[in-house]
Amino acid sequence: MNLESIKQTFLLESEELLAGMEEYLLQLEKDPGNEEAIHAIFRAVHTIKGSSGMFGYDNIVHFTHTLETMMDRLRQKEAVVTPDLIATLLKCHDHIETLVEFDTTAEEGQAVPEEYSQRGQELFSELSVFFQGGKQSVTVKKEESAKPTQPKTVEPLQRPTNGIQSPYWHISLRFAHSVLADGLDPFSFIHYLKKIGSIKNLYPVHDSLPDADLFNPEIFYLGFEIDLDAQTDDEQTVRSVFEFLEEDATIHIFPPHSASTLYEKVFQKLPESRERLTGILMKMGTLVPADLEQTSSDSPAVADAGDVEETEPKIKQSTKDHPEKKKEVPAKTSGKEEQSKKFIRIEAAKLDLLINLVGELVITEANISQIAKRENSTAMLEAASAMDRLIEELRDNVMNIRMVQIGETFRKFERIVRDISRDLKKEVELLIKGGETELDKNLIDNINDPLMHLIRNSLDHGLEDPEDREAAGKPRKGTILLNAFHDTGSIVIEISDDGKGLGKDKILAKAVERGLANKAQYYSDSDIYHFIFEPGFSTAEKLTNISGRGVGMDVVRRNIEALRGTVDIDSTEGKNTIISIRLPLTLAIIDGFIVTVGDAKYVIPLDMVTEAVEVKDIEKNSERGGNFISLRGELLPYLRLNTFFREKNMGSERENVIVVTYGQQKAGLVVDDLLGESQTVIKPLGKIFDQLHGISGATIMGNGDVALILDIPRLIEHAINQQYG
Amino acid sequence: MKTIMIIDDSASIRQVVSLTLKGAGYSVIEAIDGVDALKKLTENEINMMICDVNMPNMDGLTFVKTVKSDPAYNTYKFIPIIMLTTVAEEEKKLEGQKAGAKAWLVKPFLPERLLSAVEKLMI
Repeated sequence: MNLESIKQTFLLESEELLAGMEEYLLQLEKDPGNEEAIHAIFRAVHTIKGSSGMFGYDNIVHFTHTLETMMDRLRQKEAVVTPDLIATLLKCHDHIETLVEFDTTAEEGQAVPEEYSQRGQELFSELSVFFQGGKQSVTVKKEESAKPTQPKTVEPLQRPTNGIQSPYWHISLRFAHSVLADGLDPFSFIHYLKKIGSIKNLYPVHDSLPDADLFNPEIFYLGFEIDLDAQTDDEQTVRSVFEFLEEDATIHIFPPHSASTLYEKVFQKLPESRERLTGILMKMGTLVPADLEQTSSDSPAVADAGDVEETEPKIKQSTKDHPEKKKEVPAKTSGKEEQSKKFIRIEAAKLDLLINLVGELVITEANISQIAKRENSTAMLEAASAMDRLIEELRDNVMNIRMVQIGETFRKFERIVRDISRDLKKEVELLIKGGETELDKNLIDNINDPLMHLIRNSLDHGLEDPEDREAAGKPRKGTILLNAFHDTGSIVIEISDDGKGLGKDKILAKAVERGLANKAQYYSDSDIYHFIFEPGFSTAEKLTNISGRGVGMDVVRRNIEALRGTVDIDSTEGKNTIISIRLPLTLAIIDGFIVTVGDAKYVIPLDMVTEAVEVKDIEKNSERGGNFISLRGELLPYLRLNTFFREKNMGSERENVIVVTYGQQKAGLVVDDLLGESQTVIKPLGKIFDQLHGISGATIMGNGDVALILDIPRLIEHAINQQYG
Repeated sequence: MKTIMIIDDSASIRQVVSLTLKGAGYSVIEAIDGVDALKKLTENEINMMICDVNMPNMDGLTFVKTVKSDPAYNTYKFIPIIMLTTVAEEEKKLEGQKAGAKAWLVKPFLPERLLSAVEKLMI
């Protein structure tokens, strides 16, 4: 564990807290009386303040401290929860987010931009309007929590010229009788003294020891007089040793060469008599007769030395003095918090390792099964098949660990929908369904941006203005529904809105205009809708800052295809639009199509394979000698994998061509043999293979052979480019 | 080896504190709030506790009061508790002291300061 990883934790934790804060703010907006939400927001701000303090992120501490104060005042009902207050608090939330991001990514020593603190001040003055107390109490208290509050340093001691001769610090300690019962070990403090110096003399004062029959082993009877040779002249350093003990002991500290009058003054406060004490100190050598003579001649000076700092004996305030022992009932735990306790945070890399190991196990097991079959040992076959079942279960469970509920991602959009709909002056409600649907963590991370685009689109283009909606006989408030569910090995995410739908004719007209479609040809609805995924395609008459540039949908499609997913659109004009994203359940295992090229096996992701055809004498079939074959009259660029990967040429007469597609592009891959489909555990290639063209990963087959997984998009690109290049 | 339980709802604080303590040769148990701490208290042999104040479910002061005063936790009431918190108000400190907390350290803290408190208060 190092500082970097702790910072990482801080970042994750802050993100989580901020997400929680946002959620509660939105809850609070809906239900202004929700005190639990106010508490939760307060706690989130407080915790961020606490942890950012640990990293010295003073700008965050500074901001959150003031915000915390305000939230506290909100708790005290000094302000009324209004939509405007929530809006401002949401801005504060965003500001914290900015600060956290800046601090965790900033270079060492990089100065915090001036605009951040300005922004903070702006937000505070915006906030202060909501509190009746006005600006006064809201002004920022800069230092209050940013620095550890050390006990106030004592005024430097005026060293009397007529001090005693001893060059050592002297400490007079009298412990409270209850010190043991209070759970303190007097010895550890004396022991700790050795950290700041060496103990020259130590005299136990046992005068308060009772007779043996009255002796109570739970009571501490001793006091100590100590001479300390410390390498310091700061009384605070010495006093700090006895920090936490102040309640349980009377401590007097005398710097070296203190005035003897000081000793005299203290003698009067101690339970022992002056004679007894001078006797002890003389015996220790702290005081010599000459020191004492001085005392008597200087006696008027006693009053002057009296303002030396000292700890008055304090009356014990331990718990047993408080008879009203209230039995505290543990606070009721709300469902969500209870739930969060059941989770542990695991580094994603550890899970990846686990999945890799399970993959290895699958392969080893396949190997064992083969041996068992070869040896024809029934007992071994039985054992192997039992193992097979267990491994399968293990594999499913391990894969399941990576599964994350999509609800969290969905809920993030509540805020976005809220903000954008305000900007656009539309009334929108976001409904979430199937939030408990699980999918692979990697997918979740990558699905965020496409979802964002789609939701923005729905808000901007899909949903109409409230007036238009009323005119069309719909409720003023538009609805966007985010829905997720499992469907035969894939997960489907739907974004639907009850807006004006897609104008089919308009899209087709535009597509024809741009040369994407042929007027004479018949297009299905789905074909037409798919034109909106073309780069630069937009039917919007005007651009807004939300969307309309025709960039989004193209990116959405590519992002989703990169996840081996697909997008579909369904719409009824004037009524609704439903966009469904279909994603594979996981990225770690795919359906592969295995082919051989020369001696080697290669895997093609099955969902990119359109068809496999047998072609005779490809070269002779090639048009104009170029690398094209004619497939049912269509020109198809092709790539010889054995040339590309420099494998042996088997030189068979009839060759197999696998037609693969990616997006709108198509190409044929010439291979030697087809081995069929198989579940493929994807193993990433190491860094040194980064430069390999045409390979995206590797997998191990049941018999232990390694097969490479083809990077289809790049191979298609290559096939097309070699035509023109 | 002495075992210290750190009770804080913030994972990064738990990490920093436990890093500090482990570096000084203590073993560390982490709890995320008062309720969790009460449970772990009975399940482990703990020599000291370092506790935050503001936490969900059960806050630090309630936790200290429970451990120190509830007869159900009689066995554990002598375990020293250090409060480690951003709360710096005197009333709260006093309340903590009355409840039986041995020390009140304000975050952010210097590792040496935490260690010195731990060393002095460990029994």
